[in-house]
Amino acid sequence: MLKKLGLVAVLGALISVVVATTAWGSAKAPNRVSAVAASTIKCGKVRTIGMAAPITGPASDIGNQQVHWAKYYVKRWNSSHKNARIKMVMGDTQLGTDTAFAVKVAKSFASNSKLLGVVGPAGSQEVVASTSAYKAGKLGWVSGSATRTTLTDGHTDGNRRGYFYRTVPNDGQQGPTVANYMIKKLKWKRVYIIDDQETYSQGLADGVQGILNSRGVTTKRDSISQSQSDYSSVIAKIPNNYQGIYIPWQLAPQAQAFGQQLQAAGKAKINLFGSDGLFAPGVWKIAGSYDSAFPYDPASKVVKTFVKAHGGNGEYFGLPSYVAAQVVVGAVNRACKAGHGKTSRAAVRKQIAKTNLKSSILGFPVRFQTNGEMKLPASFGVFQIQKDGSFKRVQ
Amino acid sequence: MSPTSRQALGNLSGLGVLLAIWVVYAVYFSPTQGWTFFLQLTVNGIILGSIYALIALGYSLVYGILKLLNFAHGDVYMIGSFIGFGVLTLLGGPLSPAIPVALLVLCMFVVAMLGSGVLGLAIERFAYRPLRDAPRIAPLISALGVAFFLENSVLLLFGADYRNYDGYDLISYNGIHLGGAAGVFVSYLGVLVISGALLLMVALVALVRWTRFGKAMRAVSFDREAAAMMGIDSDRVIATTFLVGSALGGAAGVMFGLVYSQIYYLVGFLAGLKGFTAAVVGGIGSIPGAMLGGLLVGLVESWAKGYLNGNVADLVVFGILIGVMLLRPSGLLGTPALQKV
Repeated sequence: MLKKLGLVAVLGALISVVVATTAWGSAKAPNRVSAVAASTIKCGKVRTIGMAAPITGPASDIGNQQVHWAKYYVKRWNSSHKNARIKMVMGDTQLGTDTAFAVKVAKSFASNSKLLGVVGPAGSQEVVASTSAYKAGKLGWVSGSATRTTLTDGHTDGNRRGYFYRTVPNDGQQGPTVANYMIKKLKWKRVYIIDDQETYSQGLADGVQGILNSRGVTTKRDSISQSQSDYSSVIAKIPNNYQGIYIPWQLAPQAQAFGQQLQAAGKAKINLFGSDGLFAPGVWKIAGSYDSAFPYDPASKVVKTFVKAHGGNGEYFGLPSYVAAQVVVGAVNRACKAGHGKTSRAAVRKQIAKTNLKSSILGFPVRFQTNGEMKLPASFGVFQIQKDGSFKRVQ
Repeated sequence: MSPTSRQALGNLSGLGVLLAIWVVYAVYFSPTQGWTFFLQLTVNGIILGSIYALIALGYSLVYGILKLLNFAHGDVYMIGSFIGFGVLTLLGGPLSPAIPVALLVLCMFVVAMLGSGVLGLAIERFAYRPLRDAPRIAPLISALGVAFFLENSVLLLFGADYRNYDGYDLISYNGIHLGGAAGVFVSYLGVLVISGALLLMVALVALVRWTRFGKAMRAVSFDREAAAMMGIDSDRVIATTFLVGSALGGAAGVMFGLVYSQIYYLVGFLAGLKGFTAAVVGGIGSIPGAMLGGLLVGLVESWAKGYLNGNVADLVVFGILIGVMLLRPSGLLGTPALQKV
C-alpha cells in the first residue's frame, strides 16, 4: 500500500512539474515572440528565412513543387553571395488536413530569433489562419500561390497590409481566364460546377459561375468536401449532355479519384477543368482535362535550366515561389546593407514593399501595390493533361 | 413471438413505411425525378453501405461481448487499407500487376484481413485486457488513446500523403448496365464490394449461429462470469472476437481503397464514425442490426448527396443518428438493456 502511495505521489509530483513548466512557458511565449519581433538581428554571413509549404499531406505534390523552386533560387543566390548566404528553414503546413499545422509553423517562425522573412504559405485559408501569428512576430510573408481575392482587401478576412504580399495574380483574374476559355475556345454551353467547400474553391466557383451565367451558359452547382472519397452520387446528378465540369479544388488526388469515378460511371466524355491548386502532373492525370495555372516566361534561361535539371518536368505550380524567395531574399539583403550588418523584421518588411524586379521568370516586372498585390499581374495560363500525364500549355 | 422480436418487427414496419414514403416522394415529387436516378443512387448507397456495414460489425461484435465502444476500430480499418495498398504495390501496382488480377485482389484481402486481425488481437491484449475489471470509462479512454496512437504511427511511418489504389485501372472501368445504356450502371468493382461484403456477413452469421465458438461467444456476451463457470475460456473468446471484428474492418479498408481510391492516415476517422453510427442505428451489439444500420447509413448518405447538396450529406446522416437515439435509444434491432436490481 505504501509503495503504491509512493508511486502515486511521484507521478503526481512529475505531472505537477510538467504542468507548471508548460503553464509558465505558455505564459512567457507571447512575451518571447514580441521580444523577438522587436529585436535587432545581426545579419552575419548566413541569414535565415522561413518557408511554409505543404511538404507532406494531400497537397504535398504542389507543396514540393514550391519547395523545389524556392530552394533553386536560394541555391543560385548562395552560389554567388558567399558572404551573405541564405539558410531556409522549412515548415510543413499539410494543406488539406487542418490549418492548425500552418498556424503551428507560423508560431514557430515567429519565435525563431534568427528568422527575417517568410516564403509561403500555399493556401489562402492558411494565410488567413496564420495571419495573427505572423503579425505578432512582425514578419513579412510572401506567398507564391494564395490567390483568394479578399486576402488583400484589408477587411473581409482580416487586415494584413504591410505584412502579406503575393507573387501570383488573384482569383479575380483566374476566374475570367477560365470562363473565357470555356466559352470562346471550348464552346461549352452547359457546365457543372463543384466546389470543395473551402473559401478558395467557393470564391473561384462563384466567380466563374457568375461570368458563365452572364454570358448565357447554363450552369449547375454542387459541393463536395475535402475529406470525401465517394463522388458517385454527385456524379449521378450530372446530366449526360453537360460538356464540362469545373472543379476549383486544392487536392490533386481528389481530382484524380473524381475523374476515375466519372469514367467508371460512363461519363468520360464530360471534360474536367481544374484550377491552379490542381496543377500536379503525375497525380491528376485524367487525359483531356484542362487546368488553369500561374503565368511564367518559357523563354527564361532560369526556367529552361530548372526544367532540364528536373527531367523535363517544369513543376510550374511552384514557379511563383521562386519569385517569392527572390523577393524575400532581396529584401533581407537590402535591409542588412541599410542597417550596416544589423537589421530587424520591420526593416525587411519595408524592403519587401519596395521590391522592384525589372524582370522575372513570371514574364513581367515585379513591384507591389500597398495592398500586397503585384502592380503588373499577367493572366493565368491554361494547360491540358496529355495521355502520358504531362500538362501541355494550350493558352 | 417474443416481445423483443415483436418490437423489432414493429420498428422494421415503421422503417418500411418511412422508406416507401421517401421512394414515392423521390421518384414522383422531387425536382430531380425518375426511377433511374433514384435506383442509381440506391446502388451507390448499397456499395457504400456494404463497407459501413462491415465496419459496423466490428463495433457491434466488440460491444456485444465486452460492452466496450472500441473507438480504435476506424483506425484498424485504415491500417487494413494501408496493408492492402502495400500488397498491391509489392505485387506490381494497378497498371502492371505481377500476378493475375484475381489472385492479386485475393492476396490483398487475405493479407489485410490477417494483418488487421492480428492488430485487433494486440490491441485487445495490451490496451483492453488489463482494464477488463476497471470502471467502464477506463477502456473507453484507452480506446481513444489507441486510435490516436495508430493514426500518428501511420503518419510517422508513411507520412501524410494520399495513396491512390487506382482500383478501376486494376480491375475495370466497365460494369453492368441494368435497363439499357441509359439505365442504372453498376461497376464490376461495385459488384465485387457488394458480393464480398455479403459473403463475409453470411460467413460471420454462420460462425456465430452454428459453430462451437459462436455458441461460446453468445454465452460470454450474455453473462461472462456464468460462461467462465461453465468452462468457457472467456479471454480466448474475447480475443477471437477482436480478431474477427478487426479482420472485417481490414476487408472494408481494402474495399474502400479499391472503389474510392484515396487513402491516408485519417481515412479511418470519418469512416469509423459512420460505421459507429450504423452500429448504433441498427442496435449496437446486434449483428443483423449492424448490417441493416450500415446499409441505411450508406443509402441515406447517397440519397442526401443526390437529392440535396453534397455538403449536407453528413448533416443528414448524423441527424438520423440523433433522431434514432431520441426515438429508439436501443436502435432498430437492438434490445433494451435490462439491469438486475
